[in-house]
Amino acid sequence: MNAASRAGTFLAQFLLPVAVVVGYGLWSSQADSFYFPPLQEIGETFADTWLFERVPVDLLPSLGRLAAGYVLAVVVGVGVGLALGLWRIARLASEPVVEFLRALPAPALIPFALLLFGTGNNSKVFIIALGTVWPILLNTIDGVRGLESQQLDMARSYRIPPRSVLLHIILPAASPRIFAGMRTSLSIGIILMVISEMVASDNGVGYFILQSQRSFRIPEMWTGIVLIGLVGFVLNWLFLRVEARVLFWHRGARGLLREDAGGRAGDAPAPAPADEAAPDATPAIPPTARSSRPVS
Amino acid sequence: MLEVSHLRKVYGNQETGNVAVGDLSFTVGEKEFVCILGSSGCGKTTMLRCLSGLAPATSGDVVLEGRKVSGPPKDLAYVFQDYSRSLLPWMTVEGNVSFPLRYKGMSKQEARAATAEALDAVGLGNRHRAFPWQLSGGMQQRVAIARALAYRPRVLLMDEPFASVDAQTRSDLEDLLLQVWERYAVTIVFVTHDIDEAVYLADRVLVLQAPATVSVVADVDLPRPRDQITTKALPEFARLRSELLSALRH
Repeated sequence: MNAASRAGTFLAQFLLPVAVVVGYGLWSSQADSFYFPPLQEIGETFADTWLFERVPVDLLPSLGRLAAGYVLAVVVGVGVGLALGLWRIARLASEPVVEFLRALPAPALIPFALLLFGTGNNSKVFIIALGTVWPILLNTIDGVRGLESQQLDMARSYRIPPRSVLLHIILPAASPRIFAGMRTSLSIGIILMVISEMVASDNGVGYFILQSQRSFRIPEMWTGIVLIGLVGFVLNWLFLRVEARVLFWHRGARGLLREDAGGRAGDAPAPAPADEAAPDATPAIPPTARSSRPVS
Repeated sequence: MLEVSHLRKVYGNQETGNVAVGDLSFTVGEKEFVCILGSSGCGKTTMLRCLSGLAPATSGDVVLEGRKVSGPPKDLAYVFQDYSRSLLPWMTVEGNVSFPLRYKGMSKQEARAATAEALDAVGLGNRHRAFPWQLSGGMQQRVAIARALAYRPRVLLMDEPFASVDAQTRSDLEDLLLQVWERYAVTIVFVTHDIDEAVYLADRVLVLQAPATVSVVADVDLPRPRDQITTKALPEFARLRSELLSALRH
């Protein structure tokens, strides 16, 4: 029954995309529209362009800048977030500034970034980092503040040194929120990757889309758009895989891993213990609902 | 072993603040099992926090083996009431138990041996790779006890450790605690609001009245090893229980 329902879900999820693609293919092949070229033409152009001629020219630079900006945002966001989460005065003092800066759309700073860093990679990395740091920062602060005081009491009573408390208690305890922030930031990062490449750039997928449009190569433009969609989809999927692996204990502690828990522990997957252990566990919510309610 | 003299803890202003511990004095001998009995809100937890060095006393002294307690001492372990919050869900059972040992100056090998022995003592030797949330409530509290034992404390402070498990598990845990108390030759200060539990476990029961002052001290001369059925059927058990009950209601 389980396998059957899983296959059913898969089929349902598979059907709609296929229907959309086939529908567009049928319509576009007889529409003869300049703006909506036939599916076959888009497909052929895609293969010509992205397999793999322009991958090193446009795709890799785009992904490289995204990775650099995102990693920078994670390091700064988590680092500063930990400090602000633990240090009340600093948090209160920085609050107005943080609120102002995060309300500022990162693209508004593109002209400034160009002045500061020129038209090369750095200005784009700066824009991506600047836009993605806030969800990570704010979620880290929240995660640190939501720490169980009893875990800290335990650490103190066992005389665990501050560095280890930070590394082995505070950071893991905040990690569900940190991941929630990182997930929000990932989509923001992809948006900013494209936008930053549309201004004063000479490569990148965003640049490619804009150039294709300007030179009326509409099928090429569409391949760039489809590629960005695919990139976003794959990155998000990868992120969820990593998150599920790193935070498996979080889902387990929330009583959402019951089947796995039973298998791993080697005895009956007694639901009672999980309920006792986490009185606020609400198994009815979907597996990622808790960790995906970010502050953004 | 452990001497508490004129301990006082006031939250807020000295004069007008909330007095959690009034004027508390008692001593606990080497390897003694002392239960501290008091109703909810009489300042038991605050008292334990002062004894463990987690909270500073407003005045008075706590002296452990001749040394004044001013922060968490290294010969003391604390078992919290809420096991689900004091165990770390991202570490395995083994990881939780061995975590504090690294910082106590134990070598890796010693820590591993102490962890295995403590888990064995609480009957969880075969669950060392499980995560706390895969275990029942009673088992989780046993992990917390194993963590405390592996730390090799001279004194074990326990704050209503069995208050949130069912009655059957609770009596099993009481017997388990008596076993490890003998095995590890440790001094135990056990806070509870349950009269039967106090009498069953202790050498001596102190009754606390708000704000955490000792009102009655009862020596428990029940023979050891104790048994849930026969010990609790003794006339002396019933006598102590009613003595303590009237002291609590007083």
